[in-house]
Amino acid sequence: MTTIDKELLKRLPRTFVPSLNEQLDKWDLLFPAEQRTLQNQLDYLAGLAPGDFDGLFRAMKDVEAKMQLPAWEASSRRISISETSLLVRSPFYPQWRSEVEKVFARIDEGIEARKSRKPRRSVVVCLLPAGLPLPAGIPWPRLAQAGRTLSLRAAFSDGAEQFLLALARQTDSAADPAERTWVFETGDALSRTLASGADGLTPLSFESLGPARKAFLQRLNVIKKDLHSADQAYDDLRHLDLASLLGKGLGRDLRLSSFIRDLFLSGNGALLFGNAFVEWGSSEAMRRAQPQLLICSFGIRHKLKPFSSVAVFEDQGRASPAPEQDDAPSSLIDAQILAEYVYLTTSRLPSYVEQTLGVFAIEDSSTVQVLGPLPSTGWPSGPLALAELGTGIVRWMEEGA
Amino acid sequence: MRANIAQAVDRRTLLRLALLAAVEKLPAKAPARPDRPARKVVLATIAGVRRKETFAATGPDNIPRLRGELMPQALFYENCVNEGVTSHFNSISSILTGVWQHVDDWGRDLPRNPTLINYVRNQLHLDPTQTFVVTSNKALTANIGAGGNVILTKQLLIEAVERIALGFSRRPRLDRDLLLEELTDVMQQDYERIGWEVPGPAATMEPRLKQTFLTALANFVKGPDNATSGDELTFMVAAEVLRRVEPALLMINFSDVEVAHFGVYSAHLAGIRNTDAICYRLWNLLQSLPAYAGQTALVIMPEFGRDPDGSTTNGFFNHRTNTEENRVTWLMVLGPSASRPAYVKKTVRHIDVAPSLGAFLGVECSESVGEMLPEFRA
Repeated sequence: MTTIDKELLKRLPRTFVPSLNEQLDKWDLLFPAEQRTLQNQLDYLAGLAPGDFDGLFRAMKDVEAKMQLPAWEASSRRISISETSLLVRSPFYPQWRSEVEKVFARIDEGIEARKSRKPRRSVVVCLLPAGLPLPAGIPWPRLAQAGRTLSLRAAFSDGAEQFLLALARQTDSAADPAERTWVFETGDALSRTLASGADGLTPLSFESLGPARKAFLQRLNVIKKDLHSADQAYDDLRHLDLASLLGKGLGRDLRLSSFIRDLFLSGNGALLFGNAFVEWGSSEAMRRAQPQLLICSFGIRHKLKPFSSVAVFEDQGRASPAPEQDDAPSSLIDAQILAEYVYLTTSRLPSYVEQTLGVFAIEDSSTVQVLGPLPSTGWPSGPLALAELGTGIVRWMEEGA
Repeated sequence: MRANIAQAVDRRTLLRLALLAAVEKLPAKAPARPDRPARKVVLATIAGVRRKETFAATGPDNIPRLRGELMPQALFYENCVNEGVTSHFNSISSILTGVWQHVDDWGRDLPRNPTLINYVRNQLHLDPTQTFVVTSNKALTANIGAGGNVILTKQLLIEAVERIALGFSRRPRLDRDLLLEELTDVMQQDYERIGWEVPGPAATMEPRLKQTFLTALANFVKGPDNATSGDELTFMVAAEVLRRVEPALLMINFSDVEVAHFGVYSAHLAGIRNTDAICYRLWNLLQSLPAYAGQTALVIMPEFGRDPDGSTTNGFFNHRTNTEENRVTWLMVLGPSASRPAYVKKTVRHIDVAPSLGAFLGVECSESVGEMLPEFRA
């Protein structure tokens, strides 16, 4: 575990202290990439000359001085929901946010400048299910300019498993398993089929996490409409014993359990809707664990039943006698934009930017969109086998190793 | 289970207090019509919608009536900026006060300045039935319309749905007949408890308001449109208030679009389309009611946009960034103020709405820091 110089802590802006302490408190639950990032940031700050340090934070401290901040001390361990609310409604909040972004941009710039090599090459695969009412043309027209559209000889599902395994086997075997391959899916088919075929796989299935999700929802359902109650419920959930709810494999992995807990506490629909879970989970995994291969498998959700959707934290199956029905048209709309969001995440993370290939496919379609820096030449002019695409991507990953 | 029930009952208190606000403000007998001002205002706010899903080139499919039917007869401001806190309570209280508000987001505090409701009530010496807020948004409380009547319709609907879903009701399933019974029960029980909750003479609900609610609930559950959403209930309650109570100022708030927080983009778009249809129905309703036709300003505006695609706050899910997509939306004005329909390109602010509507009604929003929009002058 890293430690922080108490003198450095005193010189930091007040708003930095609680969240920094929280990160350090759970150091052992951070992924290696997070630990490296935090350590690099602390080293960078510790190495700054006093004048440069003060200059970096001067504007931010000026803004903080105008804000009515909670009574944080050097020992404060977390920013509560109530305190966040106070911060966010300050008239100076937009200015504060802007200064935070500027400060971290400068720190990241400083750290990147010291790095001698580019980040490794990564791949993000977004897979939509069969049975969607696909429109004519390419499914992601907004992304078309960022890459190329390829025709396969058969539907993507024909050979998908071998394709994905080939990519997974190409990930850096020397890296921590958390930095190799993550799978987010609404069902559990990929988790089952890929797990035995490749090392370094972290599979997370919305369906398999059902017991944990229900336990969270039960507790969130009883929050009264005030910040104290919300803080209390979130505090309880931070201490909820997840091991038995996650099953033997996941439950024993404290770091992954902690990731799942944080994911469910951060909202964004991850508790309620499979496709939102896949998108938000993937974005968080990239930000925190930085896997080299990320596989996002979206699904078809049920139609929202009459009335039950006004109380979205409820299990609509329990309340309404109407049978569940698939909603393929709506699922297509959801998955199209959420898959785009996964790829957009790579464009703002230094470990992925300009070094990431996006593969966008639909199980029962023979059209694939490949985005990113893959060479535009060297591909057959006609339809290609999925295995050929896999070979091309593996070669590209090797070149960057 | 007992703890769950206790919590649910606590939540009901919010609804009770909101409904109590309505009861307290109603006089025993409505005053005669001549005391009422001829000019009226209906302000309809929509929660978070981006321009790209509405009035930008990519959005017209979602708003066929706003764009095709209402815009040609409207004063349309293409850039309306929220420079304040982009949360629901603060945004709406900024619109109503004409001052950027920085109060508790969960509606625990009153706005720090008088609202349009206060100005209208005090300066026009109106009776308490003349100002109403009917709102879908769960983040709002009765504090949003202090001094007027506030009806938190979605709270009522959620309360009834939750009672059935969580098994606290003797009604076993969520179908239309049973839901109407449950909604009616929730209402009756809350009013029966008022004398117990807050000692005072208003121990029973004023019959006219009670009938207004019951009619709206029946229309919602049993009507021909198969309505199911919180915004549809909000519209139906507002419609009954307009028909039966004829207030001079009604603020109505729609929030189905906030399903975006859960990442269901298709439902967010459906919420926009639903709001589009409701706004059109609202305008047509106003034209059909003698008390409103030809003398009512209808203002339609989003509270804010949503975050940009690719932002660290997860794009359309949230509304937290200090970006143009989140802060800049649009403003539509219909009625006498739009006697000369126009597409206005200049940038206006949320805080300009209160003084402009105040001027239309003949009141001065003395503490507002917004500017009166000259185009509003009819």
